Amino acid sequence: MESDLTHKYIELNMGPQHPSTHGVLRLKLTLDGETVKKVEPVIGYLHRNAEKICELDFYCDALIYFDRMDYVGAMNMEVGYLEAAEKLLNIEPPERVKWIRVIMAELNRIASHLVWAGAFGLDLGMLTPFFYVFEEREKVLNLFTEICGSRQETNYMSIGGVYQDFNDKIIYRIKEFLDEFPKKLEEIYNLFVKNDVFISRTKNIGILEPEVALSYGVTGPMLRASGVPYDVRKDEPYLVYDKVNFTVPISRKKDVLARFIVRFEEMRQSVKIVKQALEKLPDGPYFNPKARKSLMIRLRGEGDVFARTESTKGEFGVYIVGDGSVKPYRVHVRSPAFKNLSVLPYLSRDVLIADMVAISGSIDLVFGEVDR
Amino acid sequence: MNLLTRIATILSFLGHYPAYILAYIIETLIVIIFATVVVAGMVYFFRKYMARVQMRIGPNRVGKFGILQVMADGLKLIQKESIMPQGRDDLPYKVAPLIIFIALIMGFIFIPYGPLAWLGTLTVTHSDVSLVILFALIAIMPIGELLSGIVSNNKYAVLGSLRGVAKDVSFEVPMMLSVLAIVMMASARNASPLDLNGIVQAQNIPFAILEPLGFFVFLISMAARASYSPFDMGESDSELVTGNTTEYSGLRFGMFYLGLFGTIFLGSMILSTLYLGGYNGPFVNYVGFIWLLIKTLVIVVISLTIWLSMPRVRIDKFVSFGWKYLLPISFINLVLTGFLVLGGIS
Repeated sequence: MESDLTHKYIELNMGPQHPSTHGVLRLKLTLDGETVKKVEPVIGYLHRNAEKICELDFYCDALIYFDRMDYVGAMNMEVGYLEAAEKLLNIEPPERVKWIRVIMAELNRIASHLVWAGAFGLDLGMLTPFFYVFEEREKVLNLFTEICGSRQETNYMSIGGVYQDFNDKIIYRIKEFLDEFPKKLEEIYNLFVKNDVFISRTKNIGILEPEVALSYGVTGPMLRASGVPYDVRKDEPYLVYDKVNFTVPISRKKDVLARFIVRFEEMRQSVKIVKQALEKLPDGPYFNPKARKSLMIRLRGEGDVFARTESTKGEFGVYIVGDGSVKPYRVHVRSPAFKNLSVLPYLSRDVLIADMVAISGSIDLVFGEVDR
Repeated sequence: MNLLTRIATILSFLGHYPAYILAYIIETLIVIIFATVVVAGMVYFFRKYMARVQMRIGPNRVGKFGILQVMADGLKLIQKESIMPQGRDDLPYKVAPLIIFIALIMGFIFIPYGPLAWLGTLTVTHSDVSLVILFALIAIMPIGELLSGIVSNNKYAVLGSLRGVAKDVSFEVPMMLSVLAIVMMASARNASPLDLNGIVQAQNIPFAILEPLGFFVFLISMAARASYSPFDMGESDSELVTGNTTEYSGLRFGMFYLGLFGTIFLGSMILSTLYLGGYNGPFVNYVGFIWLLIKTLVIVVISLTIWLSMPRVRIDKFVSFGWKYLLPISFINLVLTGFLVLGGIS
C-alpha cells in the first residue's frame, strides 16, 4: 500500500479483544469500505515462553507445558512430546500404552474438532450449534475426568507409560459414548450443511490452492481440504496407527466448506479408530519399568531428536536436544496452527470482512499453541 | 362502544372536549404501558425459548421461574454508568436510541387491537390513514440506527451503520410494494383502505391466502427491519463487535435492546394485522384482541426460531437478494393482486 493512497483506506484493528478472534489474535485490517485490502496478523499476546521453561525442568515435567499449548487438544500435544522424548531417552512404552494413547488422542481429536465447529458457527452468527457441540464435547471431557482426573489439561501420559490404567468401567463408558455419538454427530452436521445460508457463507470462500498451501507449510485438515492427502498418521505412522484401519478424508473443493466437511469426516474416522483400538487393546503393564516414578527424574538423554505427530491442527513437530543431563538442552515446537495462520493474509486479500472472519475461523486457531 | 368513549363517558363531568382529550391521553398511556410490558415479557419469553432450543435452562434465579430477570436487568442497566466515547457528536449520540424507542412505542398506538369483552374496541386512533402513519413511524427507525453509528466516533460503528443502511435500502421498497398490494385488495371492498381497521374488516379471507407472495416478502422485510439473525448486519457481532451500538452502554444500550425485541413484536403484530386477519376470528366481539395476540405470538415464535437457527447473511448477498428477488416478487404480487381485484375474487 503506497503511503499517498492510505487516506482512502480505513485502518481497523480487530482484536486482541474481539468476539471473532479466537483467543488473542490481533488483526490489523486495511479496508476499502467493506473490502479487506490487507491483513496483518499480530501474535504474541499469549506468549508464555513454554519452550524455554521446558529447558528448566526434568524431562517428565515438561509435559504440562505441552498440555497448555493446544489446550483444546491436550492429549495430542502429550503424544507429540512423548514421541520425541521417548526416542531421546530410549524408552519404549509397552504395547498397551500405545493403544491407550491412540484412544485418548482420537477422543481428544473429536472434542477439539467439535469445539472448532461451534466456534466457527459463532463466527458466522450461528449461536445454537455452539451449545450442541459443547454438550457432546462435555461427554468426552467427562470420560477424561474419569480416566485422568482432569478435564482439559489432562497431564495423563508420562514418559514410558500413562498415569493410570484403563479398567472395564472406563472401556464400557467409552463404548457407550461411541454408540451414541455418531447419531449426534450427524445431527450437528446437518444443523450446519442443510442450512442454505451457511452454504452460501462458506462455499467458494477462501480458496487455498494446494501449491500455495504447501509453500506456506500448511498442514492438517486445511491441507487435506485442499486435496493433498498428507496425514502423519498414515504417511509416517507413530504409536499403532499402522495397525488400525482408517481413511484420510480429503476434499478437492479447497474452500471453507471443504475444511468443515473434512473435519467432520475426521471425527467419523476417529470414532472408527477408537472402536478398533478398544477391540485390539492388549493386556500388559501400563508403564515401562525403566521409567517408573522413582527413576523418572533421573532419566538422561543425549543427542537430538525430531518427532512429528498429527495433532488436531496439523503436523505437530517436537525437536529436543539433550546434553546428557537430566534436563533438555533445547526444546522447540513446530506449531501447526502458527504455520496455518501464516496463510491468512494470502487468503484474505480482496474479500469482504464477513468472508475474512469465516476464513480465519476455518483455520482452527488455538493461541496457546501459536504463541507458545 | 369502544374503550375511548367508555372512558370519556366516565369523565363526562369535565365537559365534552376535556373528557375526550383526557380519554385519549389515558388510553395512549395504557397502550404504551401495555407495549412496554409486552416487550419486556417477550425478552423473558425469548430467553426461555432460546435456552430450551439450545438445551440450557435459561433465567431461573430472580423471582419464580426467573420472571423478574428482565426487571433485574433493566435496573442494572439504569444503575450502570453510561460510558460515552470521546469525540462523539453529543446531541445525535443521545437522541439516536430515543428515536428508535419512541418511534417503536408510537407504532403500537396505531395497531387496531380489536374488541375485548366489556371493554369494547381497544383501538386508540380512529384515523383514516393509520396505515400511512404507521409506516411513516417505521421509516423513522433507521434514522436512529444510522445516527448512532456515524456519531459515536468508532470505525466498527460506522461500518455497522453502513451495512444497516445498505440493508434498509434493499428491503424497504419491496416492503412498501407489498403493502400497496394490501391497499389495493382492501380498496376493492372497503371504503377506507388506508385505515388499518378497514383492512382488518376487509379480511373475511386472510390476505396471506390471497397474496402468499406478498406475505413472504413482508415476512422477510419485517425480519430485516427488526434486524435479527440472519439479517443482523447492522450489529454483526463477531465481525463488527456490535456494529452501530458498539459505543453504547447503560440505559441507552437497553433502549436499543428493547428496540430490537419491540420491533420483532410490532412487526409480528403488523404482519398478523395485514395478512392474517388481525383480530378476526370466532366470537370476534368478545375475544378479538386475544385472536390478535395469538396470531402475533405464532409469528413471534417463527421469527425467534429463524433467529436461532440461521447464520448471518453476507451484506452484498442480501442487497442483491433484495433487488433481484424481493423486488420482482413484490411486483409480480402487485400484478396478481390487480387481476384478483379486477376478477372480483377478492
